[in-house]
Amino acid sequence: MNRGVHRFALLLAGATFFLIIAGALVTSHDAGLATSDWPLSNGQFFPRMVGNLFWEHGHRMVATTVGFLTVCFTVYLYWEQICNWLYRRGLIRTATAYRGEPRRWVRRLGAIALGTVIAQGLLGGLTVKLNLPLVVSAAHATLAQLFFCTTVSLAVFTSRSWLKNHPTMEEQGSLAVRYVCVAAAATIFLQLIIGATLRHSATWDQPLPTDLLLTHIGGAIAVTLLLGTAAVLILLRYGSETFLTRPAKIALSLLAVQLFLGVAAYITRVASPNDPQPLNPMVGITVAHVACGALVFATTIVLTLRTFKVLRASAASFELATAERS
Amino acid sequence: MFMKQTKVLLILTIVLSLLALASACSKAPDGGTPGGETPAAGAKKFAPKGNEGTISGAVAFTGTPPAPKKIATDADPACGQKNPNLSTEDNVVTNGKLANVLVYIKEGTLADGTKIGDWTFDTPAAAVTLDQNGCHYKPHVSAIMVNQKLNITNSDPTQHNIHFTPKNNPDWNQSQPNGAAPLSHSFARSEILVPVKCNQHPWMKAYVAVLKHPLAAVTAEDGSFSIKGVPPGTYTVVAWHEGGATGTEKTMQVTVPASGSATADFAFGEAATASGNPSLQMMPALDVPMMVRH
Repeated sequence: MNRGVHRFALLLAGATFFLIIAGALVTSHDAGLATSDWPLSNGQFFPRMVGNLFWEHGHRMVATTVGFLTVCFTVYLYWEQICNWLYRRGLIRTATAYRGEPRRWVRRLGAIALGTVIAQGLLGGLTVKLNLPLVVSAAHATLAQLFFCTTVSLAVFTSRSWLKNHPTMEEQGSLAVRYVCVAAAATIFLQLIIGATLRHSATWDQPLPTDLLLTHIGGAIAVTLLLGTAAVLILLRYGSETFLTRPAKIALSLLAVQLFLGVAAYITRVASPNDPQPLNPMVGITVAHVACGALVFATTIVLTLRTFKVLRASAASFELATAERS
Repeated sequence: MFMKQTKVLLILTIVLSLLALASACSKAPDGGTPGGETPAAGAKKFAPKGNEGTISGAVAFTGTPPAPKKIATDADPACGQKNPNLSTEDNVVTNGKLANVLVYIKEGTLADGTKIGDWTFDTPAAAVTLDQNGCHYKPHVSAIMVNQKLNITNSDPTQHNIHFTPKNNPDWNQSQPNGAAPLSHSFARSEILVPVKCNQHPWMKAYVAVLKHPLAAVTAEDGSFSIKGVPPGTYTVVAWHEGGATGTEKTMQVTVPASGSATADFAFGEAATASGNPSLQMMPALDVPMMVRH
């Protein structure tokens, strides 16, 4: 295990979470078009940070930092390959003894993260240049969550607990927990898309569209049922396996907080069109709702990955499947 | 093999994104779509005959108006320094009279039997000015004609960002630093009304009505308005006031005599109705260019 890679992955995931908060602040303050140019702000790298430009340009600065960190992380993962390439071409004198990340699939995931953050940056520019069309803005918000989960996955795969040998267990009962976790993760992702579309379909001084709002509430119910079922099944069936129960408990706690924040966000957002400007309670609660949503998604991804690592189909279900095929 | 596929996919994603960005960057900065409104088939150009009249009146607010809400300007101290008492302008009521109400002729029939929509009107050469002053827009509500120039100025010691969010016209967003030259914009299609906002200062709001004719006015602080140059005929006059998703409208039928005037009084607020008492008064009509407000 390379501790440096894992720590870097944690730093990247943490910075990305901070970036999601920065992005949510831009939306809640309606600051997305505080400057009409991109990638500079009013033709400057460091404009005067007043008014909503503070949020928009601040978001761009954090995004640039995360992009830079992602580049460095990817180089770090591929360090051995890069040094060997330079050595074979005589550009450096000695090959490196440092291995970077030995697993090719983890390196590829790092490359995917790099491609995603580049695409995310370009999407951000596109939203400004096209004056925030709903589809592009919602895609920008959704891709942010996907990138965050990629960084979280990298942190999981490079962690000591992942690399440790865990005893493989058979799935118990007729309902496979792994697939319930996958269904929960997929539903949360859909809920994030709906939430992003809802947030970008109306500014703070406009009422939220009722159809999207109801769909988002329906999504919340579906997420609660699926994630709740997955977490409860894990706690009941594998109560002694902290590798699984810890993320399950965290997911349940975050889900409870997210539901509460959802109600609070709705109450403050409904009142917002009557306010003279975006007020701090509405901004704070809606941003917290976005951030907690990202954490719920990330925790569910962690839980899903871990269930697939330690759980296997039960022997009975394997025999049944074999019998059906013959 | 998988690595090669991943590389190809990555490069394709970046190239497509760059192409999309390039096409967006090549978008013309100025608004005004090339495909503007086409006049109705057989529309004739209106020429004043000298017998035009006036529609005038006042807009009242019945009941207790909502108190203006104070605006926090901590995010940009320059706003607070220039305008320490900055507050909302959605209900500006003075002695029971309502300001910032757009009054315009929606449709109607002239005395010669033609409809107002059968005529086209010359676009005034004079521009209308929208000033960002004290971190709010002056005027709060204005009316221009299709393709008439709107000059946007920044009189504040801070940067603004003017953002029109129309439905019938292209979206338009431009930053304007303090001391920058005036921006110019026009709308190719009529629209009642185009909201204007500043993405730098989210409390800033204004409304621009884009009409096919010059027969409109905006009430002053004393609630009064006057629409001059109205051809004799019977018209549907609409008074629009902001509020809610699309604002509130009151309508009434008004008959304007040749070289005369008609009165149209409106009321907004609690249990308000429109009241119209078109009156025959022989007053000389004045042929005036499109005005921002009365």
